[in-house]
Amino acid sequence: MSKKLWSFKFSTAALVLIPAAVGINYIGKLFAGLLKLPLWLDSIGTMLASMLAGPIIGALSGAINNIIYGLTMDPISFVYAITSIAIGITVGVLMFKGLIKNVYLAILSGIIVALVAAVVSTPINIAFWGGQTGNIWGDALFASLMAKKFPMWLASFLDEFVVDLPDKVASLVISFLIYKGLPKSLINLYSSDDEIEKL
Amino acid sequence: MRMMSLYKDRNTIVHKIDPLNKILYILASILITMLISDFKVLILTLVVSLLLLLLGKVIKNVFPIISFSLIVLVTIVIIQGLFNPNNKTPLVNIGQFIFYKEGIIYSFLLILRVLNILCAFSLLILTTKPSDLIENLVRRGLSPKLGYVLASVLQIIPQMLSTMDTILDAQRSRGLETEGKLIKRVKAFIPLIGPAVMNSLISTRERAMALEMRGFNSNIKKTFLNEHDETSFDKLIRYLLIALIIFTIVWRLVWLK
Repeated sequence: MSKKLWSFKFSTAALVLIPAAVGINYIGKLFAGLLKLPLWLDSIGTMLASMLAGPIIGALSGAINNIIYGLTMDPISFVYAITSIAIGITVGVLMFKGLIKNVYLAILSGIIVALVAAVVSTPINIAFWGGQTGNIWGDALFASLMAKKFPMWLASFLDEFVVDLPDKVASLVISFLIYKGLPKSLINLYSSDDEIEKL
Repeated sequence: MRMMSLYKDRNTIVHKIDPLNKILYILASILITMLISDFKVLILTLVVSLLLLLLGKVIKNVFPIISFSLIVLVTIVIIQGLFNPNNKTPLVNIGQFIFYKEGIIYSFLLILRVLNILCAFSLLILTTKPSDLIENLVRRGLSPKLGYVLASVLQIIPQMLSTMDTILDAQRSRGLETEGKLIKRVKAFIPLIGPAVMNSLISTRERAMALEMRGFNSNIKKTFLNEHDETSFDKLIRYLLIALIIFTIVWRLVWLK
């Protein structure tokens, strides 16, 4: 399996998984808003796509997710495509190395994903917003750290990280629980093994 | 089929410009705003973008797009004005807070950059039909498979929205509580997203089969539904934009010395 981890030859099933993943991201965000949860939960589809079909499909789902958001809602999301790509790759690699086996490992992996997302987002935040994220709690922390003369990159990183940490951990745990509940026939559909490639 | 998009159907010259030229325009304005931090240049590019939007009769539709970022833009002024590390010269006192000149200038620079980029993107988004954009990119060498993926996202999301309503009604009628304490609302998330995920994954299986039946994987060169000829006007704009991009980079390199 790990040999095919970085393969660019996709099965049709893996390709049509991408629009579904983008849709799931979108629905996750809407449900989170509907339930007034203090999280975005808008990367569940990307994470599931990575778990099912590997890092490349996950990264593609992330990129296309932000491109479509950019085209249909908020153009700024184009630039954050890099963050979504990083999330897709990280989850895919963690999954296919067998590191997401149970809920505790999923929480740990969620922390890793949040770290990666924050590292990738911070330069973008600094270039576009002078270091802010647009989230009230994160920006309040940013303001207080700036007032205490912390270096801007550190304040900005922490701003992003405190926002990302609960969101990415919750998203990854939810994705993992859904993944565990999927029937085997569906899981096998997306793997890039040759026997299954032809439907 | 209903499609999601911000596209506004008008009959103007801006709508007829090749989508690739609009993408080049975005590239040029991002490069200019990121490489050159001169207020005159930034205001000039913003004015050009606004004039083009006016010419495309979509200027009113830009404001909802800007309003997405409005709160951050306001807080940038406050945070940079108060805490920017380069702050030296006090400008105004409001209560016990002192706003500094350096931070305020920096925040205006950031705001101008964001507005520039938003307006340049709006020019593409508001005056180009997403399906035309995708077709144009495929014509210029984007993999037709990726083109299909992009186009189908735009169709799938409205479909999934109606599924979402069905699931919400079904689970509520089974007594799922979607209001109340935080823990209750968190618990309600899985029964809502679970069926939505299952539903969409199962439909990907059908979609994959349907596509393979129609020769999705065949390597024969794909043809297009619409004819397309590049006008000399489009070519002219393209060369001008490429020249502008090169000029900006060269100017920055010379200016740095």
